[in-house]
Amino acid sequence: MPLDAPFIQRALVEVLLLAGLAGVLGSWIVLRRFAFFTHGVGTAAFPGLVVAVPAGVAPQLTGLAAALVYAGGVEWLARTRRVATDAATGLALVAALALGVILASDVFESPASVDRLLFGSLVGLGPRDLWLTGSALAAALILHARLHRAWLARGFDPATARALGVKPGADPLLLLAIVLAAVVALDAVGALLVTAVLVIPAATIRLVAPSVTTLQLGTTALAAAEGVLGLWLAYQLNIGPGPAIAVLGGTVFAVVAVARRLA
Amino acid sequence: MTIRVEDLSGGYNGAEVLSGVSFALEPGTIAAVLGPNGGGKTTLFRALLGDLPVRRGTVELGARPAYVPQTDRTRLDFPVSALDVVLMGAYARTPAWRRVAKADRDAGLTALERLGLADRAKQHFGALSGGQRQRVLIARALLQESPVILLDEPLSGVDAVSAARIEDVFAQLRDEGRVLLVATHDVEQARRWDQVLCLHGRQVAFGPPGATLTTAVLLETYGHELVILPGGERAVAVEHHHH
Repeated sequence: MPLDAPFIQRALVEVLLLAGLAGVLGSWIVLRRFAFFTHGVGTAAFPGLVVAVPAGVAPQLTGLAAALVYAGGVEWLARTRRVATDAATGLALVAALALGVILASDVFESPASVDRLLFGSLVGLGPRDLWLTGSALAAALILHARLHRAWLARGFDPATARALGVKPGADPLLLLAIVLAAVVALDAVGALLVTAVLVIPAATIRLVAPSVTTLQLGTTALAAAEGVLGLWLAYQLNIGPGPAIAVLGGTVFAVVAVARRLA
Repeated sequence: MTIRVEDLSGGYNGAEVLSGVSFALEPGTIAAVLGPNGGGKTTLFRALLGDLPVRRGTVELGARPAYVPQTDRTRLDFPVSALDVVLMGAYARTPAWRRVAKADRDAGLTALERLGLADRAKQHFGALSGGQRQRVLIARALLQESPVILLDEPLSGVDAVSAARIEDVFAQLRDEGRVLLVATHDVEQARRWDQVLCLHGRQVAFGPPGATLTTAVLLETYGHELVILPGGERAVAVEHHHH
């Protein structure tokens, strides 16, 4: 892997920034059971990414708009109480994916471009992509510093959170931070593999972490290691970095889960 | 007067679950809240916590009450220790950017010690027994330092050691001048406390146990869920679990 090549350097920086997001937010995603929501948000951004190409705007912008519409739709469907949250998430996910495919068939001539949107292209990043991921990480760190106790108390027992003086507004801000993180991860791992970065490393460390802090630090370290190693494997084997990171993450999870079971 | 409720009614969007509740409690009182499942005990607590969508009538409280939920409402898989849970009691007075204060950590350990769990502070909350978890949740309420504590069936299904310890702490809290509202199914327990509030969708009775715990009142409170034992002296409320 040519470490002096700018595209590799940018890919490495992006992987490390995403590892920070995995540590800060991924931990809350698995603790608060927002993994499916996170996957849904990533997928929902897909039609947004498709229209960005002909419109000539930043894909993060249209991706964010699509993800926010999706998150709002899920929240609204769940609030009507006629549909369970997971059913609402699944429903909106399929609709978004199908819409993206229909839009894409009119936009792209080669299926490779659609692949790129669905599975990412870590080695094709520009400086703007890094700035956006860095900003999302900064926002996540600020929200975490301010609200982590509220997120913990509301997750641990929601019935008591209010009596403990925890404001109900903390949870929507967590969901917003997750939406931002998913959108900035799209360029690296694509619409379908957002969970490879934001969920799998945290779910792996969750198997062994005794506290929230160790969960967050351990997740950051693991996500960074999986990201760098995945990038290297992708370069050596000439495969996509997003799928390489996802397969690696899944393998490590399986190994840790089995080892823990045997221990 | 630490707590006064007048003609309180409330429920959830559209459905009124509880009506006509009026009572007042002096400092240093343990009050049992009796009633069948769905009789309005939890609804009353939610109203006192300011957490009920629909509420009419007046509630006067000196401060925000502390609340002890049933332990099966907590997430046992969370990576938190017993002390971590107790320290949640100090969240309301901890500035967002700071760590929980040293004084509060010490107070948290003292609260655990009071409930006989000093040696369990670092243990994973989910690994404790049901009775120990209940004691941790009571320690958390103590750390809130509220004059009023609401407890939702704190003695249901706990082991004898935990139950004895919890009742000891209740007596100490009464001596300190605090007000405890304890939702319970155990009529005999209620007999040992200072006041009894009987609910069945509305207030059936309120007063000292001697005056309230009559067979007629209990029948009205529990309806078909009540079993009167031979001699008519003892009454047992039968618990039906609806899941």
